[in-house]
Amino acid sequence: MTSSPSETETTVHPLQEFADAVAGGVGGEAEIAFDTVKVRVAPEQWVSALTTARDELGLVFFSFLSAVDWSAEVEVGDPPGDEVEERYELLAALGDISAGHRVIFTTDLAKDSPVIPSVVDVFPGANWHEREAHEMFGIEFTGHPNLANLYLPDSFIGNPLRKSYPLLSREVKPWPGSVDVEVMPGGDEETGEGPSEENPEA
Amino acid sequence: MVLDQDLVRHLSESSVSVELETEDMTLNIGPQHPSTHGVLRLVARIDGERAFDVQPVIGYMHRGYEKLSEVRTYPQITTLVNRIDWVSGYANEVPFIVAAEKLLEIEVPERAQYIRLILTEMARISSHLIFMASYPLELGAPTPLFFALRERERVLDLLEGVTGGRFHPNFNRIGGVKPAYGSGSSTRKVIQDLPAGFLAETRDAMDKVTVAVDEINSLVAGNEIILARTKGVGVLPREVAASYGVSGPNLRASGVGFDLRKVEDYLPYHLFDFEVPVGENGDCWDRWHVRLLEIRQSVRIIQQAIDGIPSGPLQAKVPKVIKVPKGETYVRAENPKGEMGYYLVSNGGQGPYRLKIRSASFSNISILPWILEGVLIPDIIAIMGSLDFVLGDVDR
Amino acid sequence: MTSFLTDLFSNFWVSLAGKLLIVALMIPLVGMVIGFAEMKLSAKMQARVGPYFAGGRWGWAQLIADGVKFFQKEDLIPAEADRPVFKLAPVLVLVSTVALLVVIPFGPDLIFRDLSVGVFYALAISSVSTIGILMAGWSSANKYSLMGGLRAAGQLIAYELPLVLAVVGAVILAGTMSMAGIVEAQISAGYPFVIFQFVGFAVFLIAALAELTRIPFDMPIAESELVMGYLTEYSGFRFLFFFLAEFANMFTLSAIAVTLFLGGWWLPGIPDNVLAYAGPVILVAKVFVLVFIMIWFRWTFPRFREDQLQSLAWKVLVPLALANIAITAVFKVVLG
Repeated sequence: MTSSPSETETTVHPLQEFADAVAGGVGGEAEIAFDTVKVRVAPEQWVSALTTARDELGLVFFSFLSAVDWSAEVEVGDPPGDEVEERYELLAALGDISAGHRVIFTTDLAKDSPVIPSVVDVFPGANWHEREAHEMFGIEFTGHPNLANLYLPDSFIGNPLRKSYPLLSREVKPWPGSVDVEVMPGGDEETGEGPSEENPEA
Repeated sequence: MVLDQDLVRHLSESSVSVELETEDMTLNIGPQHPSTHGVLRLVARIDGERAFDVQPVIGYMHRGYEKLSEVRTYPQITTLVNRIDWVSGYANEVPFIVAAEKLLEIEVPERAQYIRLILTEMARISSHLIFMASYPLELGAPTPLFFALRERERVLDLLEGVTGGRFHPNFNRIGGVKPAYGSGSSTRKVIQDLPAGFLAETRDAMDKVTVAVDEINSLVAGNEIILARTKGVGVLPREVAASYGVSGPNLRASGVGFDLRKVEDYLPYHLFDFEVPVGENGDCWDRWHVRLLEIRQSVRIIQQAIDGIPSGPLQAKVPKVIKVPKGETYVRAENPKGEMGYYLVSNGGQGPYRLKIRSASFSNISILPWILEGVLIPDIIAIMGSLDFVLGDVDR
Repeated sequence: MTSFLTDLFSNFWVSLAGKLLIVALMIPLVGMVIGFAEMKLSAKMQARVGPYFAGGRWGWAQLIADGVKFFQKEDLIPAEADRPVFKLAPVLVLVSTVALLVVIPFGPDLIFRDLSVGVFYALAISSVSTIGILMAGWSSANKYSLMGGLRAAGQLIAYELPLVLAVVGAVILAGTMSMAGIVEAQISAGYPFVIFQFVGFAVFLIAALAELTRIPFDMPIAESELVMGYLTEYSGFRFLFFFLAEFANMFTLSAIAVTLFLGGWWLPGIPDNVLAYAGPVILVAKVFVLVFIMIWFRWTFPRFREDQLQSLAWKVLVPLALANIAITAVFKVVLG
């Protein structure tokens, strides 16, 4: 059940053919990792790629649309580590409703001006997903009928899911770490860990 | 008294012309309302009894899970994640843990997979029983509520017996399921497995659930009033459903025989024999009927799983401190409400870099403005109830 | 002593006062008994126990406790509400119920007032509650209440017609509109009218359920949609009036149905001197059978949508009742 691109050339991933078909159809590049097919397209091709996927490749099911904020410096969590290209990576997951194929279309948006056309005309379900991406990341979707806040109050300032947006509760009170941990039954007296992190006997 | 002839002539000759101007009314359904499954607000513009513009306002329960998961480790996120769709608690944890295990490239032992499958199907039965309870209540029939909740208590008691929690099990660990503790031993090497008698009691409970579901079916299915309230109401065509991302029983009721359990490999469903119920018209009645049939199929799966469960360890060998290597994956599962998926971006840390949670009810209710166009107010309640959403799932 | 009492009660005013007292006591008592029956029966149907603590194991004091609770609550009137109308509405609904009791024959000579147009009076008075409900819905200054009140108006007016038409068959068979006279007609005929008037009886029962706005006809209240419909803003003793009126109305409409179709206080085979005392008991027993059926329907069926409700009234019940009248009239003329 596991596969990775680092396997030998003799074994072709079962999804390779499908991935190549999709990439060829929309004019992008395909990569398969951990059973997930990702097809990267340029921002100018975004709407046409999704339209082609829906009309010709049978990917009629709209799963989700979201983004990933790749930044070198982060306010929350751990930084990415290696040299990472700073961008917003927009993701749109489509699927079909017969064989269960699914593809994640992705495109890269510049950090200083994240603007992209809306796909509401292609998939009406993208309406709410784009509103959420807009309020959480600050991405502009041109042509969207109503780009108002979805979750956040109207008066909210800021884009919470950006890596530059701090977790306010942590600012107020830093994370205390493990305090007063009661020793689990059968656990280590010193570290307070329980046997769940050990390997149990059969 | 003599009537003034002039007055009479005047009255009989003058014609009355009144233009009936009706104003439409804006009605707020919710956020506190008996039928909105939580804090959902519908701003409905209605003309008499007909609504012609319904806009949902959501976000009253937004808890910021995606941001929180960037500062949590994987076992900690499990506690967050089963609060998304709290009605089917266990089913939310499984795709997340499978995503982490995919990036770690570990094999989960077979016994653990079977246990995960049994508990997921029990979560599905639990969620559908809540639907069986609350939907007739919204139509006005209060009695199936008690029958369905009584059966759900059996399932929840079993869940509590094995996981320790009725709604929020926290039962998964990376590499398998959390083993139970043996009794009275102070060493670490304790025989750890399911509680004694769990499988036999589950088998017994499944028989009782089947009987109860038949009872509820007989109370509801032949009832002319329920048929009149649900047949032909809220028809959802399959193309519209797919383009909005509606999934799960709602999509299957519209005639699409697509079940993620048959095409995805997050749990070993391919080892079991079960059918996928499909509806015909996509109306409220079909959405009810598909869920009822799904309970029966879940019972079938559980019985097969109990019969065939292998022995073995409950957890694979994992290091003490788990760091998931770099990679991205999308794992999706057939949750009771629909397709639930986790897009996990990991950077080699103890927690994710980005976790996108694709929740089923979010897409399921994005269809409300489309489907509630020009619909009578009682039908608004009937349609909303038949979509079976939970606000925690919508707002995350 | 007895001659003193007879002389006393032959005085018009004293007997009037006595009758008023009995009616005033009957309404809360009947309301409480039927309310308690509803709680226990619904519990049985739903695998529950019902009232358990108030008054020992059987919980018989539950409704007394509820009544006291409602009475001692704060009298809340919304700021925007139309105060005189708001206060008058529950009174109107309760008064129409109380006035219905006047013409119900409880025994051979036990009737508060035997009007020669008893049936006509009963049906006319029961429709006064419609106005009360409309007043409640309108005066509450609440959109949900307004919608509930308007739904109620539509529903109650629509179902007046089947209610009235259904009893015409029994009136034709009896030849009189006096309630006591109809019972006498059934005694002399030897059978209760339901045997030939089963269509009329069924239509009357359905229309009575709609008049009571009970499930399956409780669109005006529709708890899962309109919170409580026209009752939303009522609390405390004003709500108690509505609450009691509903249960007492169940009793009175069932009593009318029993009188017109099921033989009233009469059972064949019981001698007359016993009937003088057993009459009320027999009537109450028959009424409780009908009340049980009403409770049973409430907990089994969901509610109709407004347009389905209207089409049931106009397209099904009214033609059925009219056909019933025509056939009954023909048979009466032909067979005499």
